[in-house]
Amino acid sequence: MQLTGLLWGGKLLKKVEFPVADVLGPESSVDEIKELIKRHGEIFVKPVFKGGVGKKGKSGLIGRAKNIEEALRHKERLYFVEHSAGNITAKADGVTFEGFVPAKHEVYFSISESTVYRAPTITITHEGGVDIEEVPKDKLRVVPFDPLTGLKSYHIANALEELKAPKEIISPLVQNLPKLWTLYNNYGFSLIELNPIRMMPNAAGRLVPVACDFKATFDIDDPAWKRLELPPHLFASDYSEFEQEINQLRTYQGQSDVFVINPHGTITAPTFGGGANALVTELLGERATISSDFGGNPPYEKMLQISRIVFKYWLKQSNVLFIIGGKANNTDIYQTFRAMADALREYFQDNGPTPLFVVIGRGGPNLVKGMAYMKDTLDRLKLPYRMFGHDSAMSEVVNYALTVDEWMRQGGRRLIEEKLLGKREEPAQATV
Amino acid sequence: MHKEGVKNFPYYVGIDSLEEVATKEDRVCVLNILGTESRTVTPVSHAFSGGNVVFGTSPGRSGQVLETPTGDIPVYNSVKEGLDAGHRFTTAVVYLPPAGVKDGVAEVVKFNPELKKIIIITEKIPIHDARIIRAICQTNGVDVFGGNCLGVADSWNRVRIGGALGGSRPEESLVKGSVAIYSNSGNFTTTIAVYLLTKGWGTTTSISSGKDVYIHFAPREFFHALSNDPRSKCAVIYVEPGGYYEKDLNITRPTVACVVGRWKARLTKACGHAGSLAGSGDDARAKERWFMDYFGVDDIYTPENPVFSKKGAVVTNIAHIPEALTKVMELNGIEPDFEPRGDLSLKCWFANNASIQVPRELDIQTVRAISPYGEQIEEILKQVGAQYPRQSMKDASGASMMDPTTQITKLHGVSILDAGKHSFEENLVLSVIKNYPDSYERELANTVLNGFVNSCNLPELLCADAARKEGNSPNTVLTSAISIVGRARVKDAQRIMEIIFDNFKLVVKDPAEPLDYKEIIDGLSDDDRVLFRASDGEDRVLRAMVDKVDGAGRSSVFVDFVRDVARGLPSRAALLAAVWATLAWKPLLRKDISRVTFVTLPWYSLLFSKMIACSVPAERHTEDAFCGVKDTELTGEWSFTETAFLALVGRRPTEEELFEFSLLLGLIVSNGPGTISAQGSKGAVSADGPEDPIRVQINKAFAGFLTHTGFAHGGNGYEAIEFLIERFRNTGLEDPGSAEHGLDLKKIADEYATWYGQYKTEQKAIGNIEYKKIPCVGHPVFKGKQVNYDPRERFIEEVFKERRIYNVFLDFYRTLVQSLFEARVTRNVFCVNVDAVIAVILLKMVWNTFTSGRMTEKEVENAAFTTFLFGRMVGCAAEIDDHINRGRDMDTRTPASRCTFIR
Repeated sequence: MQLTGLLWGGKLLKKVEFPVADVLGPESSVDEIKELIKRHGEIFVKPVFKGGVGKKGKSGLIGRAKNIEEALRHKERLYFVEHSAGNITAKADGVTFEGFVPAKHEVYFSISESTVYRAPTITITHEGGVDIEEVPKDKLRVVPFDPLTGLKSYHIANALEELKAPKEIISPLVQNLPKLWTLYNNYGFSLIELNPIRMMPNAAGRLVPVACDFKATFDIDDPAWKRLELPPHLFASDYSEFEQEINQLRTYQGQSDVFVINPHGTITAPTFGGGANALVTELLGERATISSDFGGNPPYEKMLQISRIVFKYWLKQSNVLFIIGGKANNTDIYQTFRAMADALREYFQDNGPTPLFVVIGRGGPNLVKGMAYMKDTLDRLKLPYRMFGHDSAMSEVVNYALTVDEWMRQGGRRLIEEKLLGKREEPAQATV
Repeated sequence: MHKEGVKNFPYYVGIDSLEEVATKEDRVCVLNILGTESRTVTPVSHAFSGGNVVFGTSPGRSGQVLETPTGDIPVYNSVKEGLDAGHRFTTAVVYLPPAGVKDGVAEVVKFNPELKKIIIITEKIPIHDARIIRAICQTNGVDVFGGNCLGVADSWNRVRIGGALGGSRPEESLVKGSVAIYSNSGNFTTTIAVYLLTKGWGTTTSISSGKDVYIHFAPREFFHALSNDPRSKCAVIYVEPGGYYEKDLNITRPTVACVVGRWKARLTKACGHAGSLAGSGDDARAKERWFMDYFGVDDIYTPENPVFSKKGAVVTNIAHIPEALTKVMELNGIEPDFEPRGDLSLKCWFANNASIQVPRELDIQTVRAISPYGEQIEEILKQVGAQYPRQSMKDASGASMMDPTTQITKLHGVSILDAGKHSFEENLVLSVIKNYPDSYERELANTVLNGFVNSCNLPELLCADAARKEGNSPNTVLTSAISIVGRARVKDAQRIMEIIFDNFKLVVKDPAEPLDYKEIIDGLSDDDRVLFRASDGEDRVLRAMVDKVDGAGRSSVFVDFVRDVARGLPSRAALLAAVWATLAWKPLLRKDISRVTFVTLPWYSLLFSKMIACSVPAERHTEDAFCGVKDTELTGEWSFTETAFLALVGRRPTEEELFEFSLLLGLIVSNGPGTISAQGSKGAVSADGPEDPIRVQINKAFAGFLTHTGFAHGGNGYEAIEFLIERFRNTGLEDPGSAEHGLDLKKIADEYATWYGQYKTEQKAIGNIEYKKIPCVGHPVFKGKQVNYDPRERFIEEVFKERRIYNVFLDFYRTLVQSLFEARVTRNVFCVNVDAVIAVILLKMVWNTFTSGRMTEKEVENAAFTTFLFGRMVGCAAEIDDHINRGRDMDTRTPASRCTFIR
């Protein structure tokens, strides 16, 4: 769950009274934008991306405007602009208008968790405004601190002192940056990054740090972020419709992590355990529709709901339903298999039969009982299947599933379809 | 600030050697010991480790115990209470929910100065809490394993602490040997151990580290402790992307590192283990490279390209670990610990090609599974009938489910809309055997259901009459009657069902196929044989039933069997059993129903018959006829739906009426387990104790259903009928089924809407918010649009159109909602809800009888209520059977803590 930009970031920073650049949202009137330009002499027009998109500046995604015509031109250009980073493409949904903050100094500052120090850590440099990866190591300081006492003024002062930062920026930063710990520590963040913070002189000539961009990540397992009452649509683009539906079932009893791998995949693999998830997803590659981890001993009801959603989205296009996990230590195989089998039967009842080859590799408590329940269901649905115990190498079972998928592509699917539709046991006819 | 621990670390680490991770001396306290997961796992760990758990905590449950194979573990409200009771421990295991973990850690650290280790099993701990946990434990000198882990184990010490490493059979995977395992994945910790056995390697210490952002006992600590462990000759480490825990390690013993998750470099959010996101430079490829550098190799080890050194190898597939480790150890001159056990080739346990020709490479044949699974499979394949795990069935059902969006309930997967297209007898069969009968089976069902209707001179009928005369409502009358129909009435039929089940379960696949059952007959005791024979004296109904069964078109091995045992006319009990055995056999073999249900079927059947029978006064049951229809004719020629219609209206229905009546009954079979009638049924079962299912009284459960209906639930259908009667009483309407009725429905509706608008305004003006509402108009779910529809009503409309059925009352209702909107009584066009459909069908059925004076308004009201009881009997029978099979004793009660006292 990520959040970028000042439109919402500004609201969060104001909660801890951290100064923020003047910002107007996409719905602002021409008069309001004119007023903003008048106040600041110049404004930035930035696209609004839901979720996390970085490095906008580099991609020409920031417009500068000194009059309303320029501002509106940038608005038109950037309102629905697309931005690609790696394999992720995001589309903007609106723009912000941000007042120019005159400054001599730009500061980078972030708080995050460090796996090196196993503590919350700040990263700071007074040579901000560029990507942090481009700042030479000796120009930035990474400082872990005790979460029990929190981020203190001296952490900032010492870091800036070591960096030999200009004297006039130290005091305002020492006064203001610790406020961000209050935000970070109380609202479920796992990252807050301000880049740049521009050091703007106030009326008295004293420098004030003003946040000119905002990036944050929330810890999905920490309900504290809900206190911010952010509208859910802000995070909507992080997740596909399918993922959102599954995420609603996210409780601590049982994992329910999913990720769409290939919307056109042909193997749907409910996977149990983080390790199996990593291994199976890697081996299935683009043939998989989703990557999932449903381990952690989910109760029957939860597994039923999850399976219903998975089947609703993916079963029709799938050649192979591939249920895979190692030898479970604690997950009750009977309960999870019963839930998946019941959901499968329901799917067939509601949508009619769909050609599938079912491949299963699993071990764990109540294994045989679970497999037998699945067997009865699959026999009933007239689907071909193979079930392997935990004494078969998981990677070999994956290879078998891949071979089945290939055969299904080469005509196996059609054979099963003909069988299912041709000799389908008609439901009892209505009689009255 | 941290406490002083092992010297090599700039932070606190207490464990210097892997020998110390899980020892025989460790004494354990389990937080939230009675939680669902701990309740299963802790007893196994405790027994495997020789009883190392000294106590557990569970606030509010002090004094309880957790039973284990090696004795009870005491439970206290808090750690302090346990310590005050004299217990001492060194290790805490945390099973608390995520929000409670931090506080649990704080508690155990504060109150136990002897604490050395904490193992956190809980998943999804907020990062915020994880950093505080680390800070607390660093300050106080405590090692932490997890969160989100499966604990630690030691095969040498035969100790498992925390989670479920090795599942319910730890001894299968925790085999003493020389390999130490460290794994980000809990499951893979033991999967790797099992894989290692195939090359003859056992284990020393196994650590499931968890894969949260905070890994408290990290690879650096592991490899330090490995170097001090005299037992561990080598190690296997399984890691996933994310975090810098594997960077700059000092690995001193041969190690195979398995790094999985290259694909995760594409992810922008966590999937699987939290924290395993690709970040800057800590993705899978980076980690592979770190390990390759440690081992001095330049590629990944695969069987085709075995790259390894004396120091180790890197693999990306756990199946390659055993081979890679063996190769590395060969270079070090170290042999495996023992002979290889098993192998990792594909071993298929269950297979079916579903009559499809699959290519040879896919057509893998089944092999006998390893012990004990092979034996279990053998046993389970012999098992006949469904078996359900028992659980609390309070407000839960495996029989019915209402979709909150469509408000359409499904019973055994059949929506009530589809149920409406089936006959009453078919729905009754569905309720108990979860499948609709085919035409032959339907005839069999009709025969036995009708065969037991006439109850002339039987006590249940007399009882019903007595109750009726005292002015009781139809449900109360029927409660009195069916309370009489106890177990003794069906004991012979149930015994015969048992005989059939026990003797035929492994030999009959299809009851239509003949079988030589001579040996079975020879094996019957004399006492049992007697049950099959009809008693002396003429029983014309029984003979008619047998004739009907014989002429139904197929033969049944069970009917033949009971006849052959009887050597002539079988008894009523035997015929009843044979018919239900025939109907239920295939569902039984398909494991749709259980043995308990199978044996109980004759009781349900008899109750179905008696519900219809006793809704009719005794005077209409004569020696040889029911409602004026000869018993032999009823048995031989009538369907049970027609009999039910006869009981209500006093005549045989026309074809159109039969269709509408079936539709009506089908629509009301169920509204899910939350309805009062279902709750009554379930409560009655729960109170008898379904864990001993044979004790549950089915007739009492029916009484539970019936007593949980009443003037507000079931009897309220009459409100709409009364409303319609008021509108149409003086209109001269003759045939409500004719569209040529000659009435101006719009005018009637407009006049009423205008009147109602004024009435509503007046009542509101005088502050009466309890003013009379128009029945069956509007719905809490189907509202808010400009024009609203109840999809169930729409469905019926379509069915009526298809069958060219007209109903003036339904037409009126549709006109009325429009008029109400036009008269500005409603904000938009309200829907006509499904209850209206029920009312209009019923009123149409009885309209002529009513207007001709042959039926009083009171009788119409009773008929409406009784119709509801007939239909709902289907759903409630299903709930009763479901609860008997799945429920626990007294599971419908509400804990006192959730009850409210109102002053």
